[in-house]
This record gives sequence, C-alpha cells and structure tokens, in this order.
Amino acid sequence: MDNIRYDFKIEKDDFERAGEASSNIKKILRQLGLNSGIIRRVAIAAYEAEMNLVIHSNGGSITIEIDPRKVTIYANDRGPGIKDVDLAMKEGYSTASDRIREMGFGAGMGLPNMKKCSDDFSIKSILKQGTFIVMKMFLKDGD
Amino acid sequence: MHSVVLKEERCIGCTSCLKVCPTEAIRVRSGKAKIIPERCIDCGECIRICPNHAKSVTTDDISIIKNFKYNIVIPSLTLYGQFPANIGIGKMLNAVKKIGFDEVAEAAMGARISVHLLRDYLLKKSNLKYPIINSSCPAVIRLIQVRFPDLLPNIIDLETPIEITARVAKAETMKRTGLSYDDIGVVFITPCTARVTSVRNPLGIERSYIDGVISIRDIYGDIVRNIDSVSNGNLGKSTKESLLWSIAGGQAEAAEIENCLEVDGISNVIKVLEEVELGKLDDIKFIECSACYGGCVGGPLLIQNSFIAKNRIMNYVKVADKSVMSNEDLDKYINMYESGFLRLTEKIEPKSVMSLDTDLVKSIHKMEMVTEILKNLPGLDCGVCGSPTCRAFAEDIVKGENSEALCIVKSMEYFKNKNI
Repeated sequence: MDNIRYDFKIEKDDFERAGEASSNIKKILRQLGLNSGIIRRVAIAAYEAEMNLVIHSNGGSITIEIDPRKVTIYANDRGPGIKDVDLAMKEGYSTASDRIREMGFGAGMGLPNMKKCSDDFSIKSILKQGTFIVMKMFLKDGD
Repeated sequence: MHSVVLKEERCIGCTSCLKVCPTEAIRVRSGKAKIIPERCIDCGECIRICPNHAKSVTTDDISIIKNFKYNIVIPSLTLYGQFPANIGIGKMLNAVKKIGFDEVAEAAMGARISVHLLRDYLLKKSNLKYPIINSSCPAVIRLIQVRFPDLLPNIIDLETPIEITARVAKAETMKRTGLSYDDIGVVFITPCTARVTSVRNPLGIERSYIDGVISIRDIYGDIVRNIDSVSNGNLGKSTKESLLWSIAGGQAEAAEIENCLEVDGISNVIKVLEEVELGKLDDIKFIECSACYGGCVGGPLLIQNSFIAKNRIMNYVKVADKSVMSNEDLDKYINMYESGFLRLTEKIEPKSVMSLDTDLVKSIHKMEMVTEILKNLPGLDCGVCGSPTCRAFAEDIVKGENSEALCIVKSMEYFKNKNI
C-alpha cells in the first residue's frame, strides 16, 4: 500500500501536551519531503483540530493519512457534540469560557481556519456522541 | 564551505555534540564525530559543548593582510565586553589596529545605519510580512532555510551591520586613496562561527565585501599585549544604539520597536519559530532571534562569559549618546539600500535536507520502515549507536547510511534473555 497512517490520542484539558500531535505531524510531512506550503496548511488545520479537542471535547483522536494524491486529517471526539454546526462554522463564534479566552484561545476561528486550510472539508456532529471532521488537502505536482 | 570542523585527534567519540545539534547534523562513526554538511548551519553549539575541544572553526590567519596594499579591520561590537570597562573602547580598537592594520572601521557605523534604516524607513513600509524576523543572525537564517522554509519571506532584507560597515568603509577608502577594490583588504574579527560561513558562502547577497575573518579568540593574546602601549586615539565612536546591538533584544530596543519578541538560544528560537509557522504570532511586529544565549555577546568564539560581557557593555550604554542622523544622511543610506548596496538582493532558497527520499511513494515506504524499526528500539535516545536519537538511528538505517548499526541496549537485552 502506498499510504501511511498515524494516530494521536488527545485528552481533554491536557494543555501540557497540547500541540504535540500537530508538531509531530509537521515533522512527518517534512520527512516525507512534501512542500512547505502544504505542510503549513496541514499543520495549522491539525493544530486547530487538536486544540478544539483539548478545549471543547471529552477527548478523542487526530489521525493523519498520507497517500501520493492527498493528505487527510480525521479529527474524531467522544462528545459532547456541537448544537448548531452552521453557527460554529462562523468566524468569531465561540462557546469557550472566559478562562479559556484569557489563555488566548477561543477566538472562534478554529473551525473556519480548518476549513480555509482544506481543499475538502466535512463535519458531522451528533449531540452527546461526538464530532467527526474530515479534512483533505490534495497534492499538486511539485508538492 | 563550512566553518565548523572537527579536530579528529582530539575527538574521543563521546556523544555530547550529538545532543545539542539543532539540525541533527552530527553522527559518531568509527569513534569520531562526523558532520553532515548539508544539514550543518554553523551555529557553533558543538564547539561550545565539546569537553575535548575537538570541534573547532576554520578562520583566516593574520598573514592574510599580506595579500593587500591597504588593510581595514572591523572588530565585532562584542569585543567591548571582553575587557574591563576602565580600559575604554578606543584603546581596545587601537590595540587591534596595532596588530598590523592600516585602519579600523568601527562596526558602530554599520549598526547605526542599520538602526536608522530599520526605524525611520523599512518598518514604515506597507508590504512587510509580519512578524518580521531580523536578518542579523546568520545561524538563524540558515536554520530557517533548513527547518522553517515558509518563513524565509519574513526575514527583513537589510544587510547586517558588519557587511554594511565593510561596504561603506571599502567604498570610502577606494574613493579616498584611489586604490582598487582588490587592493583593499577588509578583515572582520568575529565572535561567531556562522559569520565565518556567511562571508565565504554568503546568503542573500552575491558576494561579501569582507575578505578575511579572524576569531576574537585567536588574536585575544595580541590585543592584551598591545593594550598598554596604545592610546584611546580618536576611536570609540559608539552610540547607545550600536552598543545595544550585540545584546539580545538590543536591536528592537535601539530601533524602538514596540510589540516585539526577543528570543535568544537556538532551542528557544526553534520553539518560537514553530509558533510563527502555525500563524499564532501574526500580531507581533518584530522577532529578534539570536542563536546564542544573551545575543552576540554569547558567541562561541569569545573569551568572556556573556553575563559579564553584557554588564560591561551596558555600563557603556548608560553614558553613550543617542544617535542622531540628518535627513540628508538618511536619504543617502536609503538610496544605498534601494540600489541594493545595503540590501539582501538574492533570494534565499529553501533547503530540504530533512526528507527521507525525493520520491513521495518511496518516502512513504521508508517512513513505514522507520516506524517498524522504532517499535523495536528502546527509545532512550542514549546516542551510543552514533545517532542523536532512536528515531534518527532508524532513519539512518532506512537511508542506508548506517549499515553497521548496533543498538547496545537491544544487544544487552538479547544476551540477558539468553541467560549467558
């Protein structure tokens, strides 16, 4: 098989390790020899997804899959789910607490940023069950 | 083309340098440290840490001045922190001159021009990419080239004070004496290994106006011997701005930049640039990065430790005047910048030295192998195999660079399980 997959477990409120998964993802892509533009897009999307899991979810995982045509990021969590996905996708909308905002997170840019970085973005959320995001970045010649 | 080299007879194959190299450019093979040239950024971290003084720097010898009719010396601004403050900057500079140079060009000139260009002209431009990264630390530029290629456009395209000093001094001397470019030698007295490389193998410019580089260490004895027999002369034209330049955070302070980050130490620089790469610091105006702790005063080729050196320089800062530049002079230097004389004119190309293979499918296969091998390694990153980490060890095997690889921890486990 010409693809490779890595799973990263993300725990709720684990700010100590927050950012580690996306940092590792960046290193992997660099070693695979991808071009820095696409590495940056994937790293930003993965970072936003990772922080969302730490801040808002009950924990979950980030999975990255690379094949010769594309990079795919899966961000899956175990709830609580997003009430209104359309609202959550709006820039500046945030449900983060004041404490989280004081720490410099929760600007309401996470999901919009992830979408901006992806060529193909899909989100599905079921209350109490979880949120499931798939982001695809297609490789062009030279990437 | 590197300045950092190994004195093989002194190397005992310990793993000290493996661990501190920010680009994993060192391996120990057959009991000796080997530098991977494509990866080395000449930061000098290995020189600093080597307990056996086996890591060294190739600089020029003082005999280089015989090649020229007229010799100009530019002592680094860090020199001022290498001697007690009661000696005075003028005496230090004259002591360097007495080694055999015709003229001292003070780096203070370049630092002053640089600060004014930055503060009064460049930072007011509208097409800048934020956060702006300083161009003055050559090790940081090479680090960005290797590890953060996306951030190359953030580097301000202003020449460094040393190169500015060299260019202005050489041009003025040509005019004054009628000598040709090749008749005049410019020698820089350096605290820094990366600067040596940037003279021989420049980044961002076609060629350097500096003809030779000598480390402060190598001529320290000569300066000490000369210092009692020279006067202050008419040298020592420092300003607050130029004195601050060699200290971490000093450039931003001198150029009065608000909302900036000062980062020193190459591992800290890496951490902060990772944040920049994620777009998290776009609201910061300027990031002043220096590979050495404390700034240039922490350079690997200096004698005095950076804390003492900083204290001495700060004492000069207290009594120095602020620089004032006439509009006429500022316009002159702006023209020199715009015409490319004081500017980084060449594109700095990214260097992809971290990839496993140039072909993506092959890279993916190799990455799978690395992951498989890693499962069988202890993850202690002890370095005894000669690679800096277990991961690097696995990569070296996959790339075919370490066919005699042996993990001592695994071997011991094997024998233990066999009950030998």
